Amino acid sequence: MITGARQGTLSGLRRLVSIAMARDLSTFLIPGPDIARAHGLDFEAAGLHPVASPRHASVLLIVGAIPPALREAAAIIYAQMVRPRVLFALGTETLPPLPAADVVAGLSQQDLIQGIRQLRSAFAEGAFRPDVSDFDAPMLHVRIEYTCPMHPEVVQSEPGSCPKCGMDLLPREAQATAGHTHADHQEMDNSADRQATSTHDHGTHHTMVHDAPLEYTCPMHPEVVQREPGSCPKCGMNLEPREAQTEPTHDHHHMTHDAPVEYTCPMHPEVVQSEPGSCPKCGMTLEPHEMQDTQTQEHAGMDPHRDHSTMDPGDMAFMSMIDVTQDLPRSGDGLPMEWIEAPFGPFFPGLPGGLLLTLTLDGDTVAGSDARSLIGNGDLLLQHLSMDSGSFVERLANRDPLAPVAYRLLACRALENVAGMDIPADTACARIGALERERIASHLGWLALFGQQTGFDWLRRHAASLQLKFQQADLKQILALKPAIQALTKRLQRTPLLESRTAGIGQLAPDATLRGPVARATGISDDARSTDKTCAALGFTPVSREGGDALARLHVRLDEIAHSIALIKAAGAIELPAPAHVGELSGTGEAVVETPRGLARLQLTLEGGQVTATQLDTPSTHHLTLITPLIEQQELGDALVIVGSLDLSPWEIQP
Amino acid sequence: MTTVLILLLLALGAYLVAVIETWTITGRFQLAAPLFAGIALLGRESIVPRKPDRIFFEVAPVLLLISAILAAAVVPLTPDLIITDLATGALFINAALVYVLVALLMAGWGPDGAYAMIGGWRFLGQLIAYAMLIVMPITAVVMRAESLLTTQIVVSQAGVWNIVYQPLGFVLFFIAAMALAFLPPFDLPTAKGELAGGVEAEYTGVRLAVFRLGRLALIITLAAATVIFYLGGWQGPWLPPWAWSAIKILVVTATMLLIGRFMPRIREADLLAWCWIFGIPLALLNIFLVGVLVLVLP
Repeated sequence: MITGARQGTLSGLRRLVSIAMARDLSTFLIPGPDIARAHGLDFEAAGLHPVASPRHASVLLIVGAIPPALREAAAIIYAQMVRPRVLFALGTETLPPLPAADVVAGLSQQDLIQGIRQLRSAFAEGAFRPDVSDFDAPMLHVRIEYTCPMHPEVVQSEPGSCPKCGMDLLPREAQATAGHTHADHQEMDNSADRQATSTHDHGTHHTMVHDAPLEYTCPMHPEVVQREPGSCPKCGMNLEPREAQTEPTHDHHHMTHDAPVEYTCPMHPEVVQSEPGSCPKCGMTLEPHEMQDTQTQEHAGMDPHRDHSTMDPGDMAFMSMIDVTQDLPRSGDGLPMEWIEAPFGPFFPGLPGGLLLTLTLDGDTVAGSDARSLIGNGDLLLQHLSMDSGSFVERLANRDPLAPVAYRLLACRALENVAGMDIPADTACARIGALERERIASHLGWLALFGQQTGFDWLRRHAASLQLKFQQADLKQILALKPAIQALTKRLQRTPLLESRTAGIGQLAPDATLRGPVARATGISDDARSTDKTCAALGFTPVSREGGDALARLHVRLDEIAHSIALIKAAGAIELPAPAHVGELSGTGEAVVETPRGLARLQLTLEGGQVTATQLDTPSTHHLTLITPLIEQQELGDALVIVGSLDLSPWEIQP
Repeated sequence: MTTVLILLLLALGAYLVAVIETWTITGRFQLAAPLFAGIALLGRESIVPRKPDRIFFEVAPVLLLISAILAAAVVPLTPDLIITDLATGALFINAALVYVLVALLMAGWGPDGAYAMIGGWRFLGQLIAYAMLIVMPITAVVMRAESLLTTQIVVSQAGVWNIVYQPLGFVLFFIAAMALAFLPPFDLPTAKGELAGGVEAEYTGVRLAVFRLGRLALIITLAAATVIFYLGGWQGPWLPPWAWSAIKILVVTATMLLIGRFMPRIREADLLAWCWIFGIPLALLNIFLVGVLVLVLP
């Protein structure tokens, strides 16, 4: 039995369909393939077939515990999936507002395979059910708010009249608010609507449309408008209903209906006269034009509350690009187009899971952007916490599944700094081994994501499988994998289109706020490992490249993978850092670690062996602020490559 | 009879394309996988987005399929196995495939979704890049055959295949055909990692099945067109004509599907720039060279 079954009895044909569905498990992954690989899961090998859009998925796979904001977004994704759909959770049972998972399994490849077996039989038996209930959650409801057409600042939740001018307020759908993080606002509405049609909740959207006064107009003659249905007096076509337009910014024609009309030749714009007639130059019939009212036009152009997602061809003059585009905002290239606001994330296939990028697009050019993490990992920033040192190390290590070793090392080093301990040289070396192994795996994971984003399928699969191999590899296995890394690097140097895709994209100048590979790709040889005695003894030299673009960042990461293998070889051992026993110690300490994404710094205060205050500084927090200026006026594909090339970890971004 | 046979072969071809595509992605030959995927799609709900342009939304997948089938009508698999040997066959292929653009634009506009719309725009831009590189190499092929009849074009390659006679034209046509079929690295309108499926993203259930079938039929039709224009169609020693057609078409299909896996998606700006700056002059050069060859060689 599955909760997301499709309505219907399980007849013979449907049984066949159910069996086919059980064989074809199209899966949408939450938070993303990066996290699945970080947990050592190879979901494709296990038989799941990843898809890019929740619309095409029948399985929603949730990997590990996810924070509330992501669960809310996941509920919207779940609502977007068409039935029959199943919810498959790995390593977590806390899912609300999502319904209870149909299949729950542990966080290991073995459990995943086991779970998939259960999933298949659940599908084969329960894809159709006569009594299905709808999935409902508060974030799926479209909220209607009321606003004054003349005073966009007047917004209220009840109908009424405007306190400023007394006009009746008009209903509209509330804009996506900060907490609402839809993978696609429009998609979300669809699913809410779809469910509304099949059950009790009659979609708020419908109510809205029907309450608005309707008027009827001819598709060919926009000037024909009447309150009743009928046919056009000019051409006899049936009039089409539309919502009565009273918002001046929405309808230029109605707004300036009383404006004086002048007549001009379509071929000779200099011919202008106040009467209809034909052109003295070419004999064509002159076309009527409203005389431009500059004041209203300016007002319309600047109105920030225009609903850009509404594209109603009905209120535009037939095929007139000037009329269509004249009220639209202009971007840098001066080409006016509809601006649309589209969310990319938090589960976008080409971006790190948990990162929400909201782009205002002018055509396919980015006109504005907002990037933030939905993970909300702020709990360790509390000034007044009290936690014993051992569990603090675990908390910090589990905070970022993309770099657990680096953060474990950071916490251990900070504690040792408070205690004033010195670490034996061989332990320090073995720790470097573990850190560098994580760096290799992390960079490979980045390559896989880059491959996914740019449709470079070979790279995606190859880097992902190498990442899984490196993650738990011992010294011998790592050295055995060295030729594979060399082959990968060589292959990437010869890959056509790779350079044109990344060179000159996302150019950054050397800057002190940059960290890690992003900084080193601008020619800075800034690396926390340079100041580390153990690293220096192992022969560490910072890798750096000139260029500062996405290509340089790609090459820095490739070089670092090779260099890390050399460091691991020199270190000769791999061992996860273990927290020192600090007893009833009090004091403050500080530590830095070069994580795969750059330098992270931790300051902590101990009181009687308890961690009472911490201050954490992470590279992704700094890099997040680079996004908006970097992707301004970039084509969408380039913008996504830029965001990807920064290798952000939403899990380490401080709110 | 021929019509039914060709349609059946087209369906079989589309199925084989799906099998080959799965192979290029997973490295495994799973003969039944597309069948299960297809049945599963039919069993899922097919929903209409909330504010669709209903006509565009419904028509787009069907139109994509129809345009591929229309183009297949003038493709000869053997000297006799052709639905209609139009006197303007070579141009008809081009004319029928123009509707691919229309279908994708409609699929982009129809659902009123951001990803789909951008996908539609991207393909409109792509057309400006590939369209001339479809027509101009065909022109050179026709010059050699001195006929627009597709059967005559195959016969004209009896001595030397066009891939040898006009290699430049072959390369240009092959690239343009991949761009027309929006295969990687030209999959700008459907880009998975950039647009989460783009024009395909809002289609579900039966409609998605038709859309995907249309895409598969388009790929096999373009591969067949490449074979008759450049690879000597049904001609070849030992094996019967239909076998040569089948082998050549499947090899071309597999090549088309494999190439994109080994490189990132092209930037739209680069595609446009390269097609105009290099593609069109090269296509003109190709026409000139073929013209000289036609005059010089007997």
